[in-house]
Amino acid sequence: MATYAEMQQIYDDIRGDFRYDSELNGCLNCGICTATCPAAHFYDYSPREIVQLLWTENVEQIYDAMQEKIWACAQCMTCAARCPFKNSPGGLVAIMREVAIKHEMQSAKDVLRPFGRVMLKLITTGNQLSPDMIQPDHFPDWGPNIQKVEGDLSVLRKAIPVKTLQTVETAWEVSLKTSVEMYTIWEMTGVMKSLELMDENLFDVIEDFIDEKREEYEEWLEEQEDED
Amino acid sequence: MNSKDPKANNETQGVAGHGSFFQQTDLSREEAVKATDWVRKHVDRRTVDLGDRMDDVREHMYELEKDGEIIIHRITDEHEPQTVKTLFGWEKKIPTKQLWHHKSCGQCGNIPGYPTSLMWFMNEFGYVPGKDYLDETDQTSCTAWNYHGSGIGNVESLAAVFLRNFHQAYVSGKQHGHELGHFFPLVHCGTSFGNYKEIRKYLIESAELREKVKKILGKLGRLVDGKLVIPEEIVHYSEWVHVMRNRIASELQKIDVSNIRTTTHVACHYYKMVHEDAVYDPEVLGGNRTAIITSIAQALGAQTIDYSTWYDCCGFGFRHIISEREFTRSFTMDRKIRVAREEANADVMLANDTGCVTTMDKNQWIGRAHDQNFSIPIMADVQFAALACGADPFKIVQLQWHASPCEDLVEKMGISWSQAKKNFQEYLKEVENGNIEYLYNPELAYGGQA
Repeated sequence: MATYAEMQQIYDDIRGDFRYDSELNGCLNCGICTATCPAAHFYDYSPREIVQLLWTENVEQIYDAMQEKIWACAQCMTCAARCPFKNSPGGLVAIMREVAIKHEMQSAKDVLRPFGRVMLKLITTGNQLSPDMIQPDHFPDWGPNIQKVEGDLSVLRKAIPVKTLQTVETAWEVSLKTSVEMYTIWEMTGVMKSLELMDENLFDVIEDFIDEKREEYEEWLEEQEDED
Repeated sequence: MNSKDPKANNETQGVAGHGSFFQQTDLSREEAVKATDWVRKHVDRRTVDLGDRMDDVREHMYELEKDGEIIIHRITDEHEPQTVKTLFGWEKKIPTKQLWHHKSCGQCGNIPGYPTSLMWFMNEFGYVPGKDYLDETDQTSCTAWNYHGSGIGNVESLAAVFLRNFHQAYVSGKQHGHELGHFFPLVHCGTSFGNYKEIRKYLIESAELREKVKKILGKLGRLVDGKLVIPEEIVHYSEWVHVMRNRIASELQKIDVSNIRTTTHVACHYYKMVHEDAVYDPEVLGGNRTAIITSIAQALGAQTIDYSTWYDCCGFGFRHIISEREFTRSFTMDRKIRVAREEANADVMLANDTGCVTTMDKNQWIGRAHDQNFSIPIMADVQFAALACGADPFKIVQLQWHASPCEDLVEKMGISWSQAKKNFQEYLKEVENGNIEYLYNPELAYGGQA
C-alpha cells in the first residue's frame, strides 16, 4: 500500500500531463459516458466515476481505481464522443495507465504480463500482430475453423497478391532500415525504459533482438559501401 | 486554490462530487429542463452548436506553416481530390489518386482482404502502380494498438512514429521519379486514423512536443529543410471508398445486391476520436450518423438495415481481445451479433476497421457455449464492394481468412462458393510452384521501378 505522499505524487503526475486540462473540463454527473461504455456492462468500472474522482482530487480513491478499474476501459472513446462537457474519460484513463507504469505499480505488471507477446512483436518488428499469432493453438475459443482453407501458412500467405503481405512472422514486410529507425524512437522517447520497469525479462529479450538487428543493418550498410 | 478544487466549484456552481462529495443542484424544474435540453439535443443529433465551441486544428496548422515552423504535405489537384463535409459541416479534401498505402497490422496479419480489395479497385480504375499508388516496406504500424492496450508508449513516441511514417510518404515518390509530396498517405486502419488525428492535434497545439520530436526526426534524417512534415488531411481508406462509391457502382458493379440485407458497424476510432473530422453526408442516414460504409452499400443498391446497438463498440478493447477475451466475446455476441441477427436479420455486417472485423468475425463460434446459436458474415465495406464488382472471393477478397459464415453471403450474391474454393485450391498448387499472381510488380515495394 502506498503512503499518502506517494499517492499524492501519482495524482500530481496525472495532473501534470499536458493533455490533462483538455481531457477534464467539468462534470454534471449525467452519466451519459457510463451508459454508453462497453466496459461498464461487464466490469466494476464507470467512466463517470473516473472523471469524478479526478475532478474532486480524491487521491486515495484515484489510487484505488488505478489498481484494476482503469484496466477495464476498452479505449473505444465512446465516452469522449458523447460527453456534453467534452471530457475524455478514456483519454484520462490512458494518462493514468502511463502513470501506473511510471510508478511500477504491481497491478499494472500483473495486468500486462499476458500482453507481453504483443509488445514483443510490436517493439521488435513495428507490427503488433502477425499471421503466426492467429493460430488455433493461441485462440481455442475462436473455434476449430478459424479460416476456411486448410494449408501451409506460408503458402496461404504467398497466395495474397500483394508482395509486402507475403509474410508469416510480421503482418507486412518492414524494411530493416525502418525497424532500426523505430528502435531509435523507442529509446529516445523512454518506451524502452517503461518496458524495463514493467517486465525486465521481456526487456532483456528485446534488447538482444534490437542489438542483433542493428548489427545486421550495419553489415548491410558496409556491403552497400563496398558495392559502391 | 486550484481551479478544479471541488470546494471552489461547490461555492460557485453548487454541483460537484462523487459519493460523499455529491451535492444536490437544487435547480428548479425549469432550470433542470433547460440544462438537460442542451444535453438531449446533443445526443439526438450532433448539431453545429458544439462545432462553434471547437477549433478547426487545420487553421492553426496553416498558421504554423506561414510562420515557417512546419511543412504541410498538401493535397493538390494532381491528387484529384473530392471535397466532403464532416460532422460540423467543415470541408475535408479526400485525395483519390497518387496514394501511399499506409497499411494496418491487424488487417495485413489477419484480414488481408482489406488491402487487397482496395488495391484491386485501384487497378480496376486503371491506376498505375508506382505512379497512382504505392505500397512499400518502409513503414511501421502507428503503434497505437499497443498504446491503447498497455499504456506503454507515450504521446512523444506516437508522434515520432506518426511523423516518421508520414515523412516517408512525403518523400516516397522521389525514388520513383516523382516530386516530393507526390504520394499522399491513405491510412488503412481505423485506430491509426484516430490516433494520427489526435497526435496531429497535439503537435499543432504544443510547441514543446514539436521541439521534442524534432530532435528525434532530425536524428533519423526525417526533416525537410529542418522542418517537420505534417499532412494537410488524415485520410482513411473508407473515405476513399465513400467518395468513389458512385464510380464503383456505375463503372465496376457486376452483381445485383438489392436482395442483400446489410448492417453497418463503423469503427469507434473512425468517428468517435477527433469526431469533428468524420465524414457526414445529408443524403446518407439523414446526416445524423457518419456516412461511411452505409454510403457504399446504398450506392451498390443493397438494403441498409438499422439495429438498435449501432452505436456500440465491438468489444475489441486492444488488450482485452488478447488477454481478457471473455469480455470481448461476450460483448460482441450480446451487443452486436445477436442484435444484428435478431433485429435486422442481416445477411452481412459491414465494418471499416481492423479490430472490429477480427472481434466480430472470430468470436461467433464460442457463443454456442451459451446457446447463442446464431451468426452473421463479417467483412469490410471494401470487400463487399469488391465481391459486388466481380472480384474473386478467395484470390482478391481473401475470405478464406474469415471465420464467420461468409460463404452464405457469397452464395446469396449468386457466386458459387464451392467452385471459387476449388479454383483457389488449384491456384495454391501454382503458388507452391512459384507461379504467383500480383496486383503490382513486387519490385515496387522495395523502391524498384514498375
